[in-house]
Formats: sequence, C-alpha cells, structure tokens
Amino acid sequence: MSYRIPMGPYHPGLEEPYKLDMICEGETVQDAELNIGFNFRGIEHLAETRNYYQVIALMERVCGICSFIHTLTLCQAMEKLAGLEAPPRAKYIRVVMAELERLHSHVLWAGIAAKLMGFKTMFMTCFALREKVMDVLQAISGNRVNYSMNRVGGVNRDVEDPLALIPLIDELEREMTRTVIPIFTTSSTAASRCAGIGVLTPEKAVSCAVVGPMARASGINQDLRRDAPYAAYEEMKFEVPVEPSGDVKARLLVRALEILQSCNILRQALTNMPPGEVSVGGDKFAFVTGTATSRVEAPRGEVMYSVSWKEGSRNPARVHVRTPTYVNMPAVRWMVRGARLADTPLIQASIDPCYSCTDR
Amino acid sequence: MKHLETLRKELGITEPWAESRGTWWLNPGTMSVRHVAKVMNEMHARFITITAYQLPGTEGFRLEYHWDLYGRLLGLPFTIAGNAIDSIFDICEAADWIEREIHEEYSLDFTGRVCAPLLLRKGDESGVNLREVAVNPAPAAQAQKEVAQ
Repeated sequence: MSYRIPMGPYHPGLEEPYKLDMICEGETVQDAELNIGFNFRGIEHLAETRNYYQVIALMERVCGICSFIHTLTLCQAMEKLAGLEAPPRAKYIRVVMAELERLHSHVLWAGIAAKLMGFKTMFMTCFALREKVMDVLQAISGNRVNYSMNRVGGVNRDVEDPLALIPLIDELEREMTRTVIPIFTTSSTAASRCAGIGVLTPEKAVSCAVVGPMARASGINQDLRRDAPYAAYEEMKFEVPVEPSGDVKARLLVRALEILQSCNILRQALTNMPPGEVSVGGDKFAFVTGTATSRVEAPRGEVMYSVSWKEGSRNPARVHVRTPTYVNMPAVRWMVRGARLADTPLIQASIDPCYSCTDR
Repeated sequence: MKHLETLRKELGITEPWAESRGTWWLNPGTMSVRHVAKVMNEMHARFITITAYQLPGTEGFRLEYHWDLYGRLLGLPFTIAGNAIDSIFDICEAADWIEREIHEEYSLDFTGRVCAPLLLRKGDESGVNLREVAVNPAPAAQAQKEVAQ
C-alpha cells in the first residue's frame, strides 16, 4: 500500500523551508512533489521601485550566502546599460570575492552534508573552517555577510595588501587537504552513505538543464568561468572538476575538488592583482533604454539577471533573476525516485538548495 | 560562430544573429516557439529561462527565451498580443517552473499545459505581482501598488 509522507516546510531533515511530498511504497520513495514559495518576498517587483543605488542593496538580500554574486551579476548587467567597464583591479577584486564566497558556500555545505551523514565532528570542523573564510571576507569588506562590495563601474573597497591574504588562503587549503577532503573522498562511512544514492543520470541532467556542481557531478562539463568568462576569469588558470556517476558522492567530490581550485584561483588573483583604480563612472549614471543580461557562475551554478531600463529613469523597468536552485531543484523528483526514505534528506541536501534565492 | 550559423539554418531564419551587450539575438518572426524549442534540443542548446516584459498600453507582452549554446547566451524574443503562448514544457521540461511563474506573475496562459497550483503563492490569484493592471486586482495588490507609488 502506498502512502504519502510530507517533509517540510519546517522539518529537522531540511535546512531550508520547502516541502517535499513523497509517495512511498514501504520504505521506498515512488515519486515526489515539490512545493516552494515559503520565502516569497516579491523582490523582482520591489526592484522596480528602487533607484540604481538602492537596487544593488536590495539584490544583495536575494541570498545570504551568495550576496556578492547577486550584486556582481546585477552590476555587470547595469554596466552594460551604462556603457561602463570595471577597471582591471576591480575585476580581480571581484574574482577574489567570488571565490571566497564559493569557499564559504562549499565549506558550509560540506558541514551540513556531514551532519546529515551522521558525522557531527566533521560538521564542527567544517564550520570552524568556514569561520576562517569569513574572517578573510571580513578583512576585505568589513562585513561577514552582505559585503556591499559591488557598485556600478567597479567595487566600493580596495584590497590594500593582497599578498598579506595569501598565508590565510594557504592555511585554509592546508586544513582542507589535511581533514575535509580525505574524509569526504576516502572514508568508508561517507562512501556508504553517498555512493550510488540520489543518482541523476547525464540524460536527465541535460533534460532538466541543471547547472553548477550538480551538472558537473553528472558528467556535464560546463562552467561559465571558463566557457563565458567574466570579471578577470579569462586570466586565471584552473581546472573544472567533472565526475560522471551523478550520485551524492560525485556531488561531494566535485565540491571538494572545487575548494582546491578556488584556493588556486585566489592565489593567482591575489598575486597578480594589477594596480590602479577600483571604480569608474563617478556617482551618477545614465542608463540607455533596453535590456542587458549577465551570467555568473555562483557556488551552486549559473545565476542570470535580465535588467531592463528606460532612458532617463532612476529605477529599473524590470529585473529578472534566474537562480541555480530554481533549475536544480525540480531534478530532485527524479533523484529521490527509488531511494530509501532515510536517504532523502541527504539527497535533497546534495544539490545545496537555497530557497532565499529560489523564492526571491 | 559555426554553431550559431548551423542553428540559424536549422531554424530556417534568414535574418542574421545580432550581438548586443553579450547576448546573441535572433528574431524568430512568426515562428512557433515550439519549433524553436525542438531545434534547440536537437542542437543540444541548454535552456536557461524565459524573461517576461509587459509592453506599454495594450501592446501585450514580450517573452525572451534564453538558451546557452557552447557558452554563448542566445535570446529569442516573442511578442504576444493576447494573453497566451504555446507551452514548451513537453519539449523542454526545464521550462516547467518558469512557465508556471510567468503565469503567476502576469496571468499569461501557456497553451497545452496546466499551470495550477501557483508556484510561489499557492491559493492566491495570478497576475497580481508584476502585471501592471491586475486581472482581478486583489485588495493586497492594490495596497502594495499605492505604497510603491
């Protein structure tokens, strides 16, 4: 006899407010239905009522973890409409902030995944490491979250001594290599909880058009930092980790390897940061009528903004935000089919969902 | 460029691609959005999203369909005078949530599919969030509009 189990919107197994209605046969999930909207704030509508300074502060609040990425994507689109290009140093600072945010996000996710696997000690270790990343973000921006770094035409703050941050990055990488990555990649507990569960086949990943680490863990070799470079990514040398198996373990591995790649990019950006201004264009901007789009590779995958403006207006006519979880989450339905009920919290967590972004 | 040209020929469009602010635009004219979606699948383009804009007065709506083709961002705009456009959900399952969301925000119908229940505001009415003149202006939407003004 089949029965329906609702999980969420507030449930100890979920880190975010959404609802998974699962139809089970015994302990096996037959199908699932997703419900979102518990965090809906009408941000796209609000954006139409904000001027070109206020809209940046507003969009920084779309996501607590990827706040920098959202303002970066928005500012890049607005720069296209204002005919501006950020100076080289600002582009490097944007890379540094974006990669620190990726580290922050991936380490936080690793902690949550460890907790769901039953690795409570690992959870504490990951969150202690995350604090170190937050310290670097705070040293640069003055803030732990919502960094207020981006502006139209560049960034608000300079990194005064980039080379002084390298020892912090080295220490982070050492800790990751010494503790987090070996446990996630070689421990038998992690393998038994993650290998072969929550599989998203490459065909289904293509059909659902999933993005970010989730796509790369299903064998899809895509990364905007390499395929459509923005900021200073064209000047960075890095590899894009890809795993073919599509299970939770593959998603774990891809993120673990991306942590090392982020450290590599950070070292390059901090070492080669060119001198010069960090912003152009002054304080007043004239936007042309039309639409501009911008895409950025956030920790969870591609973020895209479409911004529309009417000449002479201080407010955008339309701001549309397409976030990575918005496209990744529908695939959970296929990932939990046939899974054990007890594995579903880890399966849905393996996509690193963010509902602040998704609901907007 | 080779992929773009192949795609344009497959679509049967004579007008060339126009690059603007990093997006490659192609005018589909009167072509069906379902035909475009089928060709995009055949060309292994990745669906990204649909962005809806309400045009001034009674001009209708502009829906911009975006795909990624080997790192290039493609944009195909469709203008609709009424309140409906064909759904591509059965061809491109990644379009599911965004079609439902546009139905919710602008009260546009995607022919050939059911958009109920609302994706973000279950139990509410469609068209009260981003549509300039709400289909059935709810008291809350009216109050929100007054605050915004």
